[in-house]
Amino acid sequence: MVFERERVSAVSATARALGVHEGMRRGGVQLLAPAAHQHERDPLQETAMLQQAALALLQYTPQVALAEEACVLLDVSASLRLFGGIRALCRKIRITIARLGLSATLACAVTATGAWMLARFGDVRTLRTASLCRRLDRLPVVLLSAAVAHLEWLHGLGCRQLGQLRRLPRAGLQRRCGKDLLDMLARAYGEAPEVHDWVVAPPAFRARIELPDRIDQTDILATYAQRLLAQLAGWLAARQLAIKKLRLWLEHERGRQAVPPTELGLPLSVPAWQEDHLHTLVKEKLSRSTLAAPAIALGLAADELQAQQAASELLFPEPGGSAEDHQRLLELLVARLGADKVQQAAPRADHRPEIANRWCSVMQSTTRLPAPMTTNPAHLPPRPLWLLEEPLPLRLHRHRPVYRSPLEFTSPPERIEAGWWEGRPLTRDYFTARDAQHAYYWIFRQWRGGERPDEEPQWFLHGLFG
Amino acid sequence: MLTPSSPLRTPETIHPSLWLASQLARGGARGVSSGFEALDAELPERGWPPGVLIELLLPQDGIGELRLLRPLLAQEPGQGAARSPQRLARAERIALLQAPYQVNAPGWAHMGVAAARLLHLQADHPADAVWAAEQVLRADSCQALLMWQTRQRKGDHELLRRLHIAAQSGHTLFFMFRPLACAREASPAPLRLTLHAARDGLDIGFLKRRGPLREQTLFLPLSPSPNLQRHAPVDRRTPALATAGSLSSELAG
Repeated sequence: MVFERERVSAVSATARALGVHEGMRRGGVQLLAPAAHQHERDPLQETAMLQQAALALLQYTPQVALAEEACVLLDVSASLRLFGGIRALCRKIRITIARLGLSATLACAVTATGAWMLARFGDVRTLRTASLCRRLDRLPVVLLSAAVAHLEWLHGLGCRQLGQLRRLPRAGLQRRCGKDLLDMLARAYGEAPEVHDWVVAPPAFRARIELPDRIDQTDILATYAQRLLAQLAGWLAARQLAIKKLRLWLEHERGRQAVPPTELGLPLSVPAWQEDHLHTLVKEKLSRSTLAAPAIALGLAADELQAQQAASELLFPEPGGSAEDHQRLLELLVARLGADKVQQAAPRADHRPEIANRWCSVMQSTTRLPAPMTTNPAHLPPRPLWLLEEPLPLRLHRHRPVYRSPLEFTSPPERIEAGWWEGRPLTRDYFTARDAQHAYYWIFRQWRGGERPDEEPQWFLHGLFG
Repeated sequence: MLTPSSPLRTPETIHPSLWLASQLARGGARGVSSGFEALDAELPERGWPPGVLIELLLPQDGIGELRLLRPLLAQEPGQGAARSPQRLARAERIALLQAPYQVNAPGWAHMGVAAARLLHLQADHPADAVWAAEQVLRADSCQALLMWQTRQRKGDHELLRRLHIAAQSGHTLFFMFRPLACAREASPAPLRLTLHAARDGLDIGFLKRRGPLREQTLFLPLSPSPNLQRHAPVDRRTPALATAGSLSSELAG
């Protein structure tokens, strides 16, 4: 249960079963439910949470406003088509709110004040003015905040629902209860225009959350990071930006055994703004890093930003993933396997096979590497599909090299004589050979210092034709 | 009572996913032609099925398993060679995972697979490899994923099932090369072929397929074998023919 100024303000179902109810004093509660967890209400943190929620919800509409009684108002009239209708939109908003670690009741209506009152009553979705009026007519008067001061008088009249209130004479009602009540009623029913104070996204993004406990498991940290990422997604959408470099830091114990915060930089090869993608990247990054000490707080900052590029779609979309999907896949693979394990080919114009076969990380641009291979490969002599890391020395049996079984030559030799300009001359005769199992190999005969009749050449296996 | 005209005798007319045990599955025209008529005729769906786990079981690497896939993977020479990897279409990318040896990019280019089309992934742990395969299959942004498993391990069945489920989420052609010893174990892959090297070709055994049992192997001639490949063309320039009267008058005079 939650206390506010020594009075119970929220109760769990089990505590309610024990007889605790709102407005009780602390002493009474301790008598009834001594084992119950007691928390203090923190209005500052509540406001902060509400602002975080508003920031995260900016990804659905640029028009978000905060209302009293912990309400966030969203003008979604322009977002319905983009997010695939009201049901899909509500589902997405629910997911975002759950990621923030909050729960909410969601109501939609054609007027903001109407929706606000419906939300405080329960999950109600109305899309037309007529149905909204019907719904509102049945709501209790207490939901109208301007009427709370006159509640006793209204109940005394037998006026308990908004519909009954509306039927009272307006002049008398205005004289007794003031203009506010009538104004609010008119706004709720769409008879008067509404004015909102829209939430504006801050110019720079920096968010931080305190963790409830000391946490040293990275998967739990990733769940908390999701709260920050939801806010980041809303902020990026509101400012039409995409992120190029993300910085996550973990704060550790302060005080005597202070440990400096761990910083995790997350550079992206292609700017992104999709929350799910960022979350998977952060999750992989966290799971690969080791924590020096348990973390007590998490922070997130957007370091490098650039304007969001609108996605261009094809008139006839290809099946399967788009180029952006592929980029995201590469980033994800790099995040877990490491940049040097995700490679692209950058063959080099060189006669020596081990030098011609060059691979570099996908994060590297191939265009700036020296001497790329531009020859049409069809003009080259045959090359195997696999190369051995190190040529494997072969022994000879009756003047024939042996690898598992004696090898039989199936091609004329190809002489490669290169490297003399680097001081490492090599002279090799490459052959295609076949073994008894009909597998093809690429073998070579090495001459140490040029071809001489008195020298016995050494044979090596260098590759396999798959 | 089954009359000759009963639809139960010809279940394939009821729904394309139905077939008799004596028939090959013809679920639709989804199969990608392997490039070999004889093999296509023996494969369900008349070709390599995309979006499923295809197991190829080999006694050793390098017996010609990649030449078998050559018609599928190769492109016209010169096409796609000059483009950067970012600008490739989906149908052109090929991911190689846990390759048994160093991948020789010039060799692949020689086979008809431009170097820019290749994506080479190497994972330190088997668990990472399976994870990477799942990500590639889920993203569905590659034409084919070739994965090698060099050693048989306990719990393979569970991993294969995970991979097969991941494969079903897209249209990537997913080939997994495994040692022949795995043929004894059950596998969730709907298509399992054993490959044995033969003179100038491959003997293909059908261990499991959506269709009737086939005991005898299918011999597939794989030409050109490396020894039959054309030799390097002699790049000799034809000398310019000197035609009569082409000599300038100054020199002549």
